[in-house]
This record gives sequence, structure tokens and C-alpha cells, in this order.
Amino acid sequence: MNLLDIRNLSIVLKSATNPILAVDRVSLTMKEGEVRGLVGESGSGKSLLAQAIIGVLDEKWHVDADRFHWRGKDLMRLSVDERKAIISKDVAMIFQEPMACLDPTMTIGMQLTEAVDGEQLTGYFWQKNQQRKETAISLLHKVGIKQHKICLKKYPHQLNEALCQRVMIAMALAKRPILLIADEPTAAMESTNQGQIFRLLASLNQLKNMSILLISHDLENVTHWTNTITVMYSGQFVEAGTTKHIFEQPFHPYTRALVDSSPKSNSGLPAKSRLMALPGSIPILQHLPIGCRLGPRCPRAQQACVIAPKVTNYHGHQFSCHFSLKGSY
Amino acid sequence: MPILLQVNNLSKSFRIGRKWFNQKYFTALEPISFEVQAHHTLAIVGETGSGKSTLAKLLVGAELPSTGSIKLNGQTLQPGDFKQRCQHVRMIFQDSGTTLNPSLTIGQLLNEPLQINTKLNEEDRHCLIRETLQKVGLLAEHMNFYPHMFSGGQKQRISLARAIILQPQVIILDEALASLDPSLRSQMINLLLDLQEQMGLAYILISHNLGIVRHFSDKIMVLSKGQVVEMGDTAKILSRPKHQYTKKLILNQRFQLLHR
Repeated sequence: MNLLDIRNLSIVLKSATNPILAVDRVSLTMKEGEVRGLVGESGSGKSLLAQAIIGVLDEKWHVDADRFHWRGKDLMRLSVDERKAIISKDVAMIFQEPMACLDPTMTIGMQLTEAVDGEQLTGYFWQKNQQRKETAISLLHKVGIKQHKICLKKYPHQLNEALCQRVMIAMALAKRPILLIADEPTAAMESTNQGQIFRLLASLNQLKNMSILLISHDLENVTHWTNTITVMYSGQFVEAGTTKHIFEQPFHPYTRALVDSSPKSNSGLPAKSRLMALPGSIPILQHLPIGCRLGPRCPRAQQACVIAPKVTNYHGHQFSCHFSLKGSY
Repeated sequence: MPILLQVNNLSKSFRIGRKWFNQKYFTALEPISFEVQAHHTLAIVGETGSGKSTLAKLLVGAELPSTGSIKLNGQTLQPGDFKQRCQHVRMIFQDSGTTLNPSLTIGQLLNEPLQINTKLNEEDRHCLIRETLQKVGLLAEHMNFYPHMFSGGQKQRISLARAIILQPQVIILDEALASLDPSLRSQMINLLLDLQEQMGLAYILISHNLGIVRHFSDKIMVLSKGQVVEMGDTAKILSRPKHQYTKKLILNQRFQLLHR
């Protein structure tokens, strides 16, 4: 059974004059124990999608989906409170910019003990405080912080970014989630620290069978750590498939361009030669093209592209394009 | 190929504490010497605190060096002489959005360095701004736009326009490509390479993405704790690193360079 099954999820920014379709019919499925990458450039709606999954979008946004199942339960039909209970129990999220997301007025210890789930504690009420502290310490050990005594007393600004990110992960793990959504966990981080964080997430996936939805703007950063990848562009679904397929035989022109533009795939090219790049830039939300939103930048665009293409499935490799590269391999 | 930029024994140390006696110094950059030729790119890699940003600040003149000298075309750049340096050494920063003054239009932004550093009259300045905007792939009409009307990639192009408008010889790119989206990044790399060919620019690229460094640079300098660990041809060093630190750096980014 799929852990998370989303079909045709749309997110609309409500406004009196013209509502904006920020995310346009995106599908996403996650199996248990899977690491899925969600890749898209800035403004592609990947963070919005993550926020819609955990349900923290505010009144301005309207979420609609054909199917929104969490382990077989239809979340769209539940009341807000029921939904909150299920999601907060099973899903955790690591937000972007760990320094900004931790409370600057509280020590790490206070924030971490606050995050510990009261239901997991066994004991009388006078023992609970002590147990909370012990749980917090063991959480810190789990994410690879050995000097818990120093770390618990510090304020977020006294720690560096990688340590803050580890604390965020520890807080996310406190509820023992089944699905962890990591929204750009390594943005603006040194490459050494990036490796550490990714290795930590990978080991959690292996040891605890925790599914991870890894959100990133850079395709090449996540390829090493994911089993499957979903690519989005400007709020539309582009392509989904195994990492190997996406990287070696992308069917969609946009994925092809992403793969070609990464320095990794160009290591065979002579130095200082021109890289392959799509012309133009990402459209802003107020001026979205009709039909396939890649249209104006796409090298293969034709007249039919003014109608948004349907998702085609080919041996588990989904893509949405009228003129895919499928025949060229 | 003539040597454009020559750096001799450049170093920087900061004083820690305010005690008059028993003064302590923190050396951010040990004395280093290197040369950059026209049309060439020198990449500087290293972790945080390795002194690469300090080196960039020294070159552009934002910090005064403790020892050493910088020569451009055989002429010494005096520390503190900004007029001379602003013309020839320019810098592009990582976060282009915050380095542009939000209350000025692009035309006014680009007009400022011209007004201060050149004796052109208003008409010539206008023409030059128009030309430069076209050179970096923007339109002349963009002159009347404010920075918030542009996307991230376009803002980075504007900072590039601001850098090249004075016809400099050296441009320092301090993580200028890190915050861009991948498709815009390759556009930017193409643009930078084209400009290098046309104008004979020398780039000093500070980056931690070894994939870009490999593609973009001719020489590489690896810094660790203010010391030069390894220096030489990029292809040679990245394929056969000698020092332990370089090996570690490459190993950490292996998932970026190797094919799966």
C-alpha cells in the first residue's frame, strides 16, 4: 500500500479579481521506506506542495485534490482536527533555514524537551520531567551530537548552521515519524556539512525504515541519495521515475535541460566550452503562460503545447509532454 | 600571455582583544603570492574560515593588507587608493538581491560608478549603460525598472553589468553562482565565458562547487586555515590531488562529480 497517494493536487491563491493557480494538478506517490526527491527551480511550488501535505497553509490558499490518501485514509474528507491528529503523529518536516526556524529566545534544551512526545513517556508525573530530558539527550545522540551538555544550554545563534540543522532533525524525529519531509535541508551549507546531513538522513532511512521526501532545487545534489525523483516546473508536474531513469534517460525536455546543465554531466566536455542552457527565465506567478508552462522556453515546443499535456505512464516512468524524448533513446 | 595581476606576500591578521600589552593576533591569511594572466580564471576553494573571502576583500580593497603588495600590469595598487582600484578590479557578491539599492532604478544604479570614476557627459553615459545592458542579455528599456521587478537571475546579470561597465581587467566572483537556479547558472556561466573572450577579463572565482570550478577555471588554489595547501592547473589537481586536505574536499563532493 502506498504511504502517501496524491492525485491532481491543485493549490490556488485566492484573490478577488483573479485567482492564481500556483500548483497545477501535481501527482505524488510515496511508498514505505522510499527516499523520493522533489526537484524544481525556485518558484516551482515544491515548498507549497510540502506545506499542503502537512496542512500548514493559511486561509489565503485553497487546496483541492482528486485523491489525497495517507495510508488508505482520505484526508480531504476528514475534519481539520482529525487530519491534524493523523499528520502530526506520522509526518514531520524540516524547514528551510534552520537558524531562522528555531526560537531565538529559548535554549536548545528547552525547545527540544518541548518537542518530545508526552505519550511516549512511561512513568508517574514526577518522573516525566526527568524522562523528557533523557529523551532529548538521546535524540541529540541520534543525530550525531555527542556533547549534549554544552549543546542543550546554548541558544540557536551560538551554534553553527549544521548543528542547528541537526537539532531541527532531532526535533522532527521526536515523534518517531513515518514520513520526514526535508525542505532544502542543505541550502546555503558548506559541502562538508551537506555530506554529513545527507548521510544522517540516509542512515535514518536505512535503520528506521523512515520514508523521506527530499526537496531540493538542484538535481545533481540529490541524485546520490534518492531512489526516485519527481520533477516540477512552475507549479506543473514534469516527470517522475527512478533516479537512474531520470538521470540517464529523461523523457521531458525540461529534465533533459536540467541534467545537461549540471556540471556533473558535463565533466566529459572540454573546460570552458559552452554549457547547454534553456533560454529565458522562470515565469512569475502573475504572468503564467497557458498550457504547458515550459512552452516559451522549450526547444521542442509546437502549437499543441498551448493545451496542457496529460500525464503519460511508460513502465512506471511518468511524464507530461506532447513531444517527449521517448523515441530518441 | 602577459601577467595581469601579481600578488606578492599578501597577508592579513586581525588584532584580538583590546589590551595594550600582551596583544594577540589572529592570522586570517598567511603570506601568499600568485599571478593571474588575462583571459584566465583562478579558482579559490576551501572551507569556511579558510581565508578565501578575506583574500577577495584584500584584492578589491575593502580591507587593508598587513603585508605584501598587489600589482596590476606591473603597477602597484596602493592600499586605500580607491579611484585606481575601482576602475580595474570589480566584485560580484553572492546575494545579488541585497546588493542592489532598492530605491534606485537600474539606470541610476549603473550611472553612479560612471559619474564617480569617469569624465563622460550625460549622453555618453546613457549610451554606455544601454550598451552594457545589451551585453549582459537585458534590454535597454530595463533602465527604468527598479530592482524588485527582476528575477534572481536577472538581478545577477545587473550586478555583472555594474561590474563590467567600467571596463575592468579583473572581476572577483564571490560565490556569485551559488544561489542561482541550475538552468540560470549555466546561462550565467556561458555569459561570463563569452565576456571573458570578448574583453580579456581575468576572473577570480570563489566557489565550493567543484563541478563549476572544474569547468570554469584554468588554475586552482586550495586554501586551508589561511594557508595555501595546493596550487596549479585545475584539471591536474582535481584528477590527482596530492595534499590530504584537497583529497578530503574532493571526496566530500564526490557525489557531485562522479556518475552514479
